[in-house]
Amino acid sequence: MRKIVLIVVFGFLTFGLISFSKSYFTPIYIEIPENWPKPIYDFKKNPLTEEGFQLGRQLFYDPILSKDNTISCASCHLQATGFTHVDHELSHGIEGKIGTRNSLTLQNLAWNKHFMWDGGVNHLDVQALAPITSEVEMNETLENVVRKLQNSEKYVGQFEKAFGTKKITGQLTLKAISQFLVSLTTTNSKYDKVKRNEEKFTEMEQKGYALFQKHCISCHTEPLLTNNEFRNNGLLMDVDLKDLGRMKITQNSKDSLLFKVPTLRNIEFTYPYMHDGRFKTLTEVIKHYNSGIHKSKTLSKELQKPMNLSDNERTELVAFLKTLTDKTFLFNTRYAYPKENNF
Amino acid sequence: MKKSFYLVYFLLATSFTLFGQIESDSLSLKINTKWNGKNLNFNSSYISKQKDTIKITQLKFYISDFQVKYDDNTIFLDKNSHLIDFEKTNTSFLNITKHYKNKIKSINFCIGIDSLASVSGALSGDLDPSNGMYWAWQSGYINLKIEGNSSSCKTRKNSFNFHIGGYLKPYNAMQKIEIPVNKIQNQINLTLDLEQFFSEINLKEINSVMIPGNKAMELANLSSKMFYIE
Repeated sequence: MRKIVLIVVFGFLTFGLISFSKSYFTPIYIEIPENWPKPIYDFKKNPLTEEGFQLGRQLFYDPILSKDNTISCASCHLQATGFTHVDHELSHGIEGKIGTRNSLTLQNLAWNKHFMWDGGVNHLDVQALAPITSEVEMNETLENVVRKLQNSEKYVGQFEKAFGTKKITGQLTLKAISQFLVSLTTTNSKYDKVKRNEEKFTEMEQKGYALFQKHCISCHTEPLLTNNEFRNNGLLMDVDLKDLGRMKITQNSKDSLLFKVPTLRNIEFTYPYMHDGRFKTLTEVIKHYNSGIHKSKTLSKELQKPMNLSDNERTELVAFLKTLTDKTFLFNTRYAYPKENNF
Repeated sequence: MKKSFYLVYFLLATSFTLFGQIESDSLSLKINTKWNGKNLNFNSSYISKQKDTIKITQLKFYISDFQVKYDDNTIFLDKNSHLIDFEKTNTSFLNITKHYKNKIKSINFCIGIDSLASVSGALSGDLDPSNGMYWAWQSGYINLKIEGNSSSCKTRKNSFNFHIGGYLKPYNAMQKIEIPVNKIQNQINLTLDLEQFFSEINLKEINSVMIPGNKAMELANLSSKMFYIE
């Protein structure tokens, strides 16, 4: 009798173990440095797991998201340059077609309130829809992406590992991509280390930081180096692109020529600069703020007076901006192309 | 043998009784799509009051927060959003609630998706962005999609495209609709008549509305007038 009870109990436990292992996910957490604000992304609605992260990473680097399987997210968002498209003023996509804006960087997105230069996208989970469906980027539909993924044995297996279901949906596809994107945190630049008292600025960087605090910080607020808002920063409108920025979304003339204030992290490598990539170097950018501001109705109030920095001061400011480079982020193999392919 | 026969009989009888019960006990919603009182057909051409010859090629919309008010002031509310797609006939029949013996005073529902769902990222089921009812470059749901062609439209393939949506004030295009019923019913026959919609649109001038804004608001308003109960 006792033996039977034992067998039953044992069997029950084994069954429990097996059924448990089937839906076993490995939770992961992003690191939030001390004194940083709370992330905006709601992790409760998309709990990060190693399996979800790896699936998202796979999707990010896979051209399966595009209509003719040629363009992946990484085509315009390269890790070594802060996940943006360098060397092209305007990013190009499918069949070499050229868009109307310079691709943004993908960094610390868990703290982002709006997405895109005009803030048209209100949630990270739906951000990927824009490039997927854009005629000049991937020219695909989410419906068809889901169909292609469902036909791939490899992906069906990975979705099951990540979400416990073999039924691939648009929602799960987007959430997997988000799991990879929110994990792209950069918190380890020299600037961060100085803030943590682990390193010291050089004299030049220190002077540059002082100038930065005086002239730049009202929009590029610490520690994210963006205030998550929109500003007209005095760029003369490109007559070919006629891009009105935020106004396209709100249809409010107060938002004419306003664009997202981008983060300055890894700015040394994310050239060209501005929404239309008009400046190739940081020197040109600083020159613009120093003496090139074009006045218009919606010009940011912070930019009404030119900075008037001396040549030396401009060099100091560039020196400080370079301390925002985080090599542990730019070369983190965890964010790189998944060579192993069968994690 | 005899025993098992009785058992099978018993099981069958019980299940039939039960299922039969469920069938007659639920209140359902049937959505009928018409043109001037006749069932709409994607293969037919129609002539609007504006004298436009029209062919419909796509019709999709959301019904949300469907409410049934009974005359004893009790209310049933279905918090879900349902995507109705003319080409998928099964989507035009919904089980709303258990049958309630009282007279139905009125029904309330929304055409479209509320602002909360529009800022909640990627949702599932009928709200999954892969249903083609979610905008990409500007977040938010398309509440109502009507596409087709007409020789009056000097556009590519003579097509017209109305993608009506937007959740941000002052361009929140979701429509709240209330229709009196005053009957005891177990199936509500909700009809939308596209003739009504096109009777006030000059297709020569308005044939492409695919962003939130004033025009979308006007069309959303018009669309709310095409619903009635038979």
